[in-house]
Amino acid sequence: MVIATAQNSVKRKHPKKHNHYGFRDFFQFDPDKGTILDWNQGQNILTTEDFIIGLVEGLQEEVGDASAATMYTIGCEWGLKDAFFFENWFEKEFERSMRQTNLLFLLETWWWPFTAQGWGRWEIDMGDRKQGFMFINIFDSAVARTLGDVGKPVCYLYAGLFAGFFTELVKKQLSCIEIQCYSMGETYCKFLIGGQDRIDAAAFWMNEGATARDIEKRLRSGEILR
Amino acid sequence: MLSQLERLTREIDGRYASDAELTFAIDYVRSFNLRVQTYQRLQELETTLVQQTYTKMRSIDPSVFSHGGDDLSAKWKRDTLRVMRYVAVAVLMDDTETFRERLLLWFQTIMRAFGAQRSCNLTYQVLQEVVKQSLTAPQANLVCPLLELSRRTLGTLT
Repeated sequence: MVIATAQNSVKRKHPKKHNHYGFRDFFQFDPDKGTILDWNQGQNILTTEDFIIGLVEGLQEEVGDASAATMYTIGCEWGLKDAFFFENWFEKEFERSMRQTNLLFLLETWWWPFTAQGWGRWEIDMGDRKQGFMFINIFDSAVARTLGDVGKPVCYLYAGLFAGFFTELVKKQLSCIEIQCYSMGETYCKFLIGGQDRIDAAAFWMNEGATARDIEKRLRSGEILR
Repeated sequence: MLSQLERLTREIDGRYASDAELTFAIDYVRSFNLRVQTYQRLQELETTLVQQTYTKMRSIDPSVFSHGGDDLSAKWKRDTLRVMRYVAVAVLMDDTETFRERLLLWFQTIMRAFGAQRSCNLTYQVLQEVVKQSLTAPQANLVCPLLELSRRTLGTLT
């Protein structure tokens, strides 16, 4: 992630504006410099679906089956770095600590730049948080939408991003697995976030043919704890 | 209007627009005076409309402005004024799409995060009634569809 020094002109005029995710508010195009800065000073690049295909297939060709783990690790690093980046801009914009903020509001605020950048809308289900796991649905995943129906989960980058970000947020090692994907012919992607034991169990059940719904049921009935 | 003009500019690249494609622009010009009047009326009545809505909501449901012992009145007023101002611009520019893109989609997630859908549902329902009483029928006809869109977007439980 590159942080630039110039500032978005809408932000200069309305520094306290929070609903700044419209295309023209969020992105600042500088044709002279050839840069696209976002509201939080991150430098953005526009890519085509061919870029995503190139990234996924290129990696597959280079490292074979390890490409999934590689994408996941890249996502983890990204999520970890983004947690610090987010903390910085959140506390400046809202003039309050992340730790003294309504959790759902905080998370929605974290995801909005991703929505504006085209990573898809999300829905977070924290109903099982006290049991140590939660679910995130992603509608219109950039990776899955690009690759289409390939019969298996493909959003390892997202899974890593969630694992990295939430690990830093709760200061506890968390992992993530995609248990349902648009690329499996489903209408949206679903991720499970939790401790490694739960993620391993979910991976095992998935290998045995369990659906996302089966996995949810088994986790809620505390099966992993037996 | 601006979103539609932008779309038209892209669609007619290298040719002239047909009469049908220009209808929206002609309609806009015809409605322009009414839009400006409505915009100015909203500007003038903003505080009154919000206050009347507040009073009416309190009488319908006294608990609507409190949550866990906190009085949410000031926050509610700020939020409602913000929506009103975006509605006013959307009326002036005839641009529902920009209203959705720049405010509603974001605000929907924030209202859900705070579990404020019930309050939003009531707010934009009552606000429509108040607007109908304070504005002329043609003016209210420009404003109310946007308030109804706000009610449906912000006030619906998932």
